[in-house]
Amino acid sequence: MAELQAEAPYAAVEDSIRQLVDLFYARVRQDPQLGPVFAGALGESEAAWAQHLARLSDFWSSVVLRSGRYHGDPFSTHLRLPDLEPAMFDRWLALWGETCTEVLDPELADIFRDRADRIARSLRMGLFERLPAKLSKVSPP
Amino acid sequence: MTYVVTENCIKCKYMDCVEVCPVDCFYAGENMLVIHPDECIDCGVCEPECPAEAIVPDSDATANAWLERNRTYASQWPNLTRKGEPPPDADEWKDKPGKEALFSPEPHK
Repeated sequence: MAELQAEAPYAAVEDSIRQLVDLFYARVRQDPQLGPVFAGALGESEAAWAQHLARLSDFWSSVVLRSGRYHGDPFSTHLRLPDLEPAMFDRWLALWGETCTEVLDPELADIFRDRADRIARSLRMGLFERLPAKLSKVSPP
Repeated sequence: MTYVVTENCIKCKYMDCVEVCPVDCFYAGENMLVIHPDECIDCGVCEPECPAEAIVPDSDATANAWLERNRTYASQWPNLTRKGEPPPDADEWKDKPGKEALFSPEPHK
């Protein structure tokens, strides 16, 4: 797997993460497919969005810089979204990929895209394949 | 997709991995840790943190033999999110062959 080089300036990457997350979610909010899901979960309040952006910056800092700032349960968070569909992950990844290309230098963009691909695959499998199979085992026929 | 803790964790149990895991999916036994495969988001953060290089992706050839053990004990052992004191002889056990025979099914104390 692509690894961040040890000499990459930590503070500069933190700044890039913030820039990436801000621009990405500004686009998500405008996106016809993804926007309504986020609006349903977070509402339109700027305070709620500011909190979400800070939390997601912590998440990416934890994933790429191993900062340990984020601790959470993304499976449960996604499970609470009533209108989530597998195809939304493709749209999310396409938008993420474009934004990475614009904001980050190519090597860093590759790392962020690679991590997002892996995490999305894992969440999608968990939410749409593994979990329904588990639920059907405990549900009456 | 998940990462899997393998044999070389046994009797080393450095626990660096639990601090960096964003989703807190490590569970601790008496002498090794495991990853809950349904909770791991495959982010790969833990892999380079392990001093014993005991954590591998499930696509790795060595993962197969350990995946079910990770699943089994993740549902029996306590969740661990903060690094404790590793065994005093952890470094001596690192990379020793045949550690699987020393695996303890007991939970972390």
